[in-house]
Amino acid sequence: MANKAKPVRRHTADAVLTEIVRNGVLAVTEEMKTHLMRTAYNMIIYEALDFTVGLFTPKGETVSIGLGLPSFIRGMANTVRAMIERFGADGVGPGDILVTNDAYTTGSHLYHFTFAVPVFYEGHLAGWTVCMAHWPDVGGQLGGITTDIYSEGLQVPILKYQRAGVVNQDLIDIIRMNVRIPDRAMGDLRAQITAVKSGERRYTELLERYGREPVLAAIARIMDQSERSARARTRSIPDGSWEAESFMDDDGISVGRRVPIKVRVTKKGDRMTIDLTGVSPQVSGFYNSGPSTGISCAQVAYKCLTSPTDYPINEGSFRALDVIVPAGTVVSAVKPAAMRWWMTYPMTIVDTIFRAMVEAIPERTIAAHHADLGVAMINGIAPTDGRFFLSSVGPAGGGWGAKASADGMSGVVCLNDGDTHNHPVEQMEAKFPILFERHCLRDDSGGAGRHRGGLGTEQVVRALTPINFNIQVDRVHCPPWGLEGGLSGAGNQVALRLEGREINDFPNAKVLSRRLAAGDAFIIRTGGGGGFGPPVERDAERVAHDVRQGYVSHDNARALYGVVLGATGGVDPVATRRERKTRASKARARSSTQ
Amino acid sequence: MPQRLRRPRAPVASNRIAADIGGTFTDVAVFDEASGQMLLGKTLSTPRDLVEGINTGVDKAGAQVRDAALFLHGSTVAINTLLERSGARTALLITEGFRDIYEIGRINRPDAYNLYFRKHVPLVERALCLEVRERLMADGTVLHALDEACVEAACDRMVAEKVEAVAILLLHCYRNPEHERRVKAIVQARLPHAFVTASHELSQEYREFERCSTAVANAYIGPRVSRYVQGIDEHLKEEGFAGSFLLVQSTGGLYQSEQARVECVRMLESGPAAGVVGVQALARVLGLEDAVAFDMGGTTAKAGVIYRGEVMTTSAALVGGYNQALPVQIPMVDIFEVGTGGGSIARVDESGALKVGPQSSGAEPGPACYGRGGEQPTVTDANLVLGRLGAERFLGGEMHLDRAAAERAIRTQIAEPLGMSVRAAADGILRIAVSSMSYAVKGVSTDRGLDAAAFPLIAYGGAGPLHAAAIAREIGMARVLVPQAPGHFCAYGMLHSDLRYDFVRTWFTPLAAASFKELDEVFAALIGEGRAILKRSGVKAESVAIGRAIDMRYVGQEHPVTVDLTPEVFRKRDRDAIKALFDAVHLRRYGTCAPAERAEVVSLRATVTGVMKKPPPAAIARGTARVPAAALRGQRPCWFNGLARAIATPVYDRTQLRAGNRLQGPALIEEHASTTVLLPGDSARVDRWGTLDITIGED
Repeated sequence: MANKAKPVRRHTADAVLTEIVRNGVLAVTEEMKTHLMRTAYNMIIYEALDFTVGLFTPKGETVSIGLGLPSFIRGMANTVRAMIERFGADGVGPGDILVTNDAYTTGSHLYHFTFAVPVFYEGHLAGWTVCMAHWPDVGGQLGGITTDIYSEGLQVPILKYQRAGVVNQDLIDIIRMNVRIPDRAMGDLRAQITAVKSGERRYTELLERYGREPVLAAIARIMDQSERSARARTRSIPDGSWEAESFMDDDGISVGRRVPIKVRVTKKGDRMTIDLTGVSPQVSGFYNSGPSTGISCAQVAYKCLTSPTDYPINEGSFRALDVIVPAGTVVSAVKPAAMRWWMTYPMTIVDTIFRAMVEAIPERTIAAHHADLGVAMINGIAPTDGRFFLSSVGPAGGGWGAKASADGMSGVVCLNDGDTHNHPVEQMEAKFPILFERHCLRDDSGGAGRHRGGLGTEQVVRALTPINFNIQVDRVHCPPWGLEGGLSGAGNQVALRLEGREINDFPNAKVLSRRLAAGDAFIIRTGGGGGFGPPVERDAERVAHDVRQGYVSHDNARALYGVVLGATGGVDPVATRRERKTRASKARARSSTQ
Repeated sequence: MPQRLRRPRAPVASNRIAADIGGTFTDVAVFDEASGQMLLGKTLSTPRDLVEGINTGVDKAGAQVRDAALFLHGSTVAINTLLERSGARTALLITEGFRDIYEIGRINRPDAYNLYFRKHVPLVERALCLEVRERLMADGTVLHALDEACVEAACDRMVAEKVEAVAILLLHCYRNPEHERRVKAIVQARLPHAFVTASHELSQEYREFERCSTAVANAYIGPRVSRYVQGIDEHLKEEGFAGSFLLVQSTGGLYQSEQARVECVRMLESGPAAGVVGVQALARVLGLEDAVAFDMGGTTAKAGVIYRGEVMTTSAALVGGYNQALPVQIPMVDIFEVGTGGGSIARVDESGALKVGPQSSGAEPGPACYGRGGEQPTVTDANLVLGRLGAERFLGGEMHLDRAAAERAIRTQIAEPLGMSVRAAADGILRIAVSSMSYAVKGVSTDRGLDAAAFPLIAYGGAGPLHAAAIAREIGMARVLVPQAPGHFCAYGMLHSDLRYDFVRTWFTPLAAASFKELDEVFAALIGEGRAILKRSGVKAESVAIGRAIDMRYVGQEHPVTVDLTPEVFRKRDRDAIKALFDAVHLRRYGTCAPAERAEVVSLRATVTGVMKKPPPAAIARGTARVPAAALRGQRPCWFNGLARAIATPVYDRTQLRAGNRLQGPALIEEHASTTVLLPGDSARVDRWGTLDITIGED
């Protein structure tokens, strides 16, 4: 290189270096993200961006974590800590790359292969660059609902993928033998290595420029700032203790048996405690997740409620939060609990925490959302090349809840995911033997309210060749609730069109291992967000606007909002006033007789 | 006052005029081919009637449009119409079943912890997203024929709704544009005054949301941009202009005004792209293969890259910030922008962190030192407090700066809350600004696997030369170049643009099975199309240059990288050489490659360039190593890099410098619209073209 970056060791004002390092660590994770996405082999990584990248201190504290899966914010830090525990601080060296997909370590499913590079600078460990990405297949049972981890695929404990620069070929051979499409799996593996190595390179540049100690000191200050800001925001919440409850439809095994979700939040001074003791014990079906996910649930809720836009997440963001989650719940499950669909329940737990806080901080909380990825799994033999294919269809966007001062968003990915994208229709059709008949918003699905919930979506997908289809949607019977008098949005729904007839009366919206003939279709409808505040308080002009845009039907404008529209779509003010007045007096009469 | 780089030797006869309209200033550069003379003018932009700003700028340069053979133009009108949401009443015609894909978008939620997050806001209301019954399969075959009655019904609706612009997006039209073409013809017949765009005309890549967004953006800005271009066209004709009127595209290439009026979205990054082309031209003159272009103005800083003599481009951009971005799938100069400029505001946030930007004081009220009511400290205030800007010399003395106001703002809002001195605070503001701008430079260089440290940094824009030396140090770059008249550089760059037409054709095939015969045919068709458009333009190009590239990936990957085909590799039909080139590009970009893996072709790219005659570089008067006495304006106390003590720093008048002069840092070199800072330890040489060639000191 013509002119290598020269180290700068002169005294620098702390505040300034801190800001420079803050930009620097974000750039590390940004580059890891870009490189993983651009070089990956499977659509779920390169198009949906279902992955998380992060930079950690030598002790495994989160420094910077890319915009990946919010539900995974704790899982990655715990994985690094488990790696440190496994090998000891002296057990890793330059040129090592560690790997695992152990579900109880990552807290999620076996699809989450996680690679980590210990970054050394001048002979000392200076941090870890880590990349988790979702592999579409790790072997194990195709379709159905698993009831233990052993049927979910290959388990790789924490070990060295690469030792002092030498790749462990035995491990590669084992993985290749256990997955259904080995070439693609190896492509994703290479992409993940590309990501962690580029993170290592970029972080090393920062260390070369400013030195290990000043950079780590700046990182400590960044964490302290996040902690201070979170504490200050927590202090502004009144002291008290609040509870809320909701439920999941069932665990897929005991059809129709509700799974309770109960949470308690206590706030005193600048500390908050989130108690998940009342969350259901681990279940038979594959909806369990490991202990780090219980903590993630609490951390995500805490971040959203206290300091959503202050700073990107790091270890300091959560120092003032205590989480109580006993072992053996659905979000702190122990082996051999089935984990494949780990991501569904935690979202409802977070929604329930938001619900608990409406009394204390109505302006900072949110009504419930669709809380499900709405993902179907398909596989079969492609007519073009006669080879086995496998893909997810989705995630589908759904409706988000309304807030005290704003409507909910329509067609947005659920809380489990952050920067996750959907799959373009044109791309899906180019790669798999399916045809989308519709992809649109579900009119009238948003919960009515002073502020309306966002709309869910509908996808109608036709099989062009026989395919195996599997979907397990929840929150069908516990639709996204409203707050402060706002109504619920529509629940999630799954339907099949078999030989031209629509079937949508599945007892639990879980369609397991169904074979579709060419011409049959599956239909995924995601729920709408809950409303906020009484619908009759919604500005009549905004209701008229919603009707013009088709978000709300003419009938519902009257039935739910008490807004009467004239022939040209404008508000009829006299009729509307009368309609709303009648409702108010009826409501008074109702409440006095109760 | 016109600024003259050379005294006119003869009355202006035939010339080329370049006008760049930015948010604050309109810059004009005039080049007279006959005499080789260059004239410059700079004036405030006139947002209400942009033509007026052009007139004043041309006047200030001492030129007249009737004497021009070419009028070249770059403007922010397209990007502003999009960002300000001041475009036309637009409708979207879309395949039945998919009217909401534009609103649904990619469903991502980057602002993941903000319960008040907002997604992109469509440019078309849902009520005007109208469905058309038709359907193509992924391979372009027709599943359902186009229902023309349905299109007619949509037209009835659009007429009733007084729609001004229409975008058409039909699924898989990139494989078969027939349905889109037919829909467009019907709409044009029924709504003759509407601006109509079909998606395949702008982008032939799959991903319906992105292509839809591109087509809608074009339709939305179309009527206004088209009127704007037409307005200038008419004005030029009234003034007796009989030459060709060309606009700068986001690629830095030129296109005719007739085409600009139809494909408006191609001029989104018009001005910044011209600057990068200027850097390419300068690099050529100076014999540089690689360079980083760095442009800093009042609100933002931008960086681009010249690599092996070529401007680095990208095939898509996100307009309006990542969280709520509207994608535009159009090739552009790869420009990385950060919200740091002279007007960026510094503040201490609630947790005690010092922040600079992205909020800007803008032109009104402006930095505290402008004395127009601005009370928040800015990057410009920090420069003034540290002595780098002369209070009396801003904009050639047209504007006086208030040093006491700058100090007060920094003291009360930064220094006291953080318990530091005013100078340490000012120094901190500059260091943070410099750090953030260095990420723009890295964003286009190290992010692409290029070693920024080995590249010279070419700095321009009003504030670029003030900070370039510090940015170079931050990244470890050894050399900074400041061209003549850096404040007019984008207009200068336009004079170096060529007519350029880019074509992409999707062509999936394994590299091992790729037929060179077919490859030849596709390239020949694309190139033929380019040559035909060039011919129709009526502009006489000196020569025609052809570029061929292949987008490639490993079998199984989705995202390709673009591999430029050298004429030699193409001629030799050397598959292995193409594969090796691809492996090398992958390695450079991502740090890894997999030579054992098979590669495949995704699309073919051809570029047809009508090469224009360029202004030859103008030499300045020769001198010796010693700076002439007339160039020294005096000395000013300056503070550098947190030094406790002021250094008496010499201030030079750039117009008095001579080729061969050598300067030693610290030093300040002032000219009309800019000041160059040499830090202690830096040295500079004035080259024969007047460029300040700065060697960054070992510090």
